[in-house]
Amino acid sequence: MSALISNVVPSSGFCMYDRGFSSTYDSGVGVIPNSTFNAHALRINSSKASETSIFHFFRKNKINLNSVTCAKSSSAPDEPKKSPKSSETALILIRHGESLWNQKNLFTGCVDVPLSRRGVDEAIEAGRRISNIPIDMIYTSSLIRAQMTAMLAMTKHRKKKVPIVVHKEDDRSIAWSRIFSEQTSSEVIPVVTAWQLNERMYGELQGLNKKETAEKYGKKKVHEWRRSYDIPPPNGESLAMCAERAVAYFKDQIEPQLLAGKNILIAAHGNSLRSIIMHLDKLTSQEVIDLELSTGIPMLYIAKGGKISRRGSPTCPRTVGVYAYTSNLARYRELLENMEE
Amino acid sequence: MSISVPCRTSSAYFCSYHNVPGIVTDKAMGTQLKYVAGALPLKMHVLKKQVISGRSSSSNINALSNILASANGSAVLDGPQKAVKSSETALILIRHGESLWNEKNLFTGCVDVPLSQRGVEEAIEAGRRISNIPIDMIYTSALIRAQMTAMLAMTKHRKKKVPVIAHNEDERSIKWSKIFSDQTSSEVIPVVTSWQLNERMYGELQGLNKKETAKKYGKQKVHEWRRSYDIPPPNGENLAMCAERAVAYFEEEIEPQLLAGKNILIAAHGNSLRSIIMHLDKLTSQEVIDLELATGIPMLYIAKDGKILRRGSPTCPRTVSVYAFSNDLADYRQQLESDEE
Repeated sequence: MSALISNVVPSSGFCMYDRGFSSTYDSGVGVIPNSTFNAHALRINSSKASETSIFHFFRKNKINLNSVTCAKSSSAPDEPKKSPKSSETALILIRHGESLWNQKNLFTGCVDVPLSRRGVDEAIEAGRRISNIPIDMIYTSSLIRAQMTAMLAMTKHRKKKVPIVVHKEDDRSIAWSRIFSEQTSSEVIPVVTAWQLNERMYGELQGLNKKETAEKYGKKKVHEWRRSYDIPPPNGESLAMCAERAVAYFKDQIEPQLLAGKNILIAAHGNSLRSIIMHLDKLTSQEVIDLELSTGIPMLYIAKGGKISRRGSPTCPRTVGVYAYTSNLARYRELLENMEE
Repeated sequence: MSISVPCRTSSAYFCSYHNVPGIVTDKAMGTQLKYVAGALPLKMHVLKKQVISGRSSSSNINALSNILASANGSAVLDGPQKAVKSSETALILIRHGESLWNEKNLFTGCVDVPLSQRGVEEAIEAGRRISNIPIDMIYTSALIRAQMTAMLAMTKHRKKKVPVIAHNEDERSIKWSKIFSDQTSSEVIPVVTSWQLNERMYGELQGLNKKETAKKYGKQKVHEWRRSYDIPPPNGENLAMCAERAVAYFEEEIEPQLLAGKNILIAAHGNSLRSIIMHLDKLTSQEVIDLELATGIPMLYIAKDGKILRRGSPTCPRTVSVYAFSNDLADYRQQLESDEE
């Protein structure tokens, strides 16, 4: 099995984090993003003897890779029925983009404010970047800006499955949302909305202008509330409290699905996603405070062999670059492209 | 003076109204203005920036715009604190655009399927058309495609108010969504989601392919379910049942707000909106079956003196033409434009 990759020019520094996480990976896939060089070293080792390994070696200078050839898989699986034949699943995290209150510089927290025009564009752009990654389930918060981000991103997704929001609030909504075709049900990506993935609740600062709040309480206090780990704003949540409910939800509901073989997309908020990243990457509270997750840029994790490891941010498909893919995801992408021909 | 009324629904509707103006062409004026005359006690204005039928200005138009300009001083329109100084309020109905299951030709009903790329664009286009009409409250269904339509449309809205979804499912959500600034609260457009505005529940047809269903049950039966007033699909709602809950909700919750002076946007579905139009326009069940509401094209009603009258569909602002505005809405639009200068 192999995939045809020609004239691939590696891009530089596709990892949106400013720290060298890749050095901690020991699952056989090493990604060394390096913004000072124009090349990556990407080595993929497959533990299965029957699989062909794909090795890409890049030296310090850019190299045109035009002779790595792989044959197509003869048993081309049709996507809805089979996931990539591996024990590997993808976890994608997307932080929603600009909201209408971001534009106005107001503290938002759990007030359910929708996306601005720019936030809509960011969501669609994020969708382009993940269009080739299989997704079996989607989790969002109960706030519309995260839900819209997920749905807008999925309008760009290449697979034929359709995201459907799951309704379980009461008997009526369960009865009314039933699907009566097996075929259709198998092509559904369930979307689960959960308040536990909401943004940190900002208490009495919600709706306040950031400048005014600094004037009222003092810059230092506001900085403390915004950037400490355990000091909550009045009647609000600290980052620790947000992390507690977000990570608990992740461990209860999402992790089991991921480790059981489902590819998952989580569209949520800055603080709930930082909490999850803190859990996945085992960050200290100081490290998580310094962590900034870009809006609208998806972050990819791969779960394999019980471990969940960060892989970076898939670049825009239109950029001539190399995805932070594993060999399986690369093959999957090839498959999608072949099917469209 | 005169306005041509662009209406996207079947023209038969205008003929059946007693109190909606007919359209007469007046050549005596030397321009090709169309008169709208009728029983409505409203004067309709030609906006000074519009070009009518190729002629850039006539003395009549200039005189009118002077009247408008002087009227602006008295009508305080833009401030969030004051409503339009008249007893007139706007009601806008928008039917959401294409969903991902529309694309696949599946019966959707109350399954919570999101918008397709095209549906997103239709929503944004609808937003352009209503960008100058004041909105104080938004009502949508519990389904994401209607909510997204409302939120995407509002990204184009010119007023500074921000739509915020009201959450009162439980104590936690009430507490978490509180806003602590009066200034901010006054600039909020509450968005109320309610299942009563949902699409007609399609019972055992939900998720089925339209062709397959025709094969399985027979074309005639399917046609009956889709196009009759009181024959429900198996375990589903007929149009009468849908109308019952949608109109009841409208009468209890929306109409009082409208008649109390709030400008309202309803973003919902084909059948729930038809039911409301049936109620507002006093249609018979045969007439409502024949009614097709265009997707993504807003339908404007004006409530005045206890009556709610249909005014047609506001055209796209980029079209050189005249809105189906009342003079107060025209004043309001002038106000917005002069504020922006």
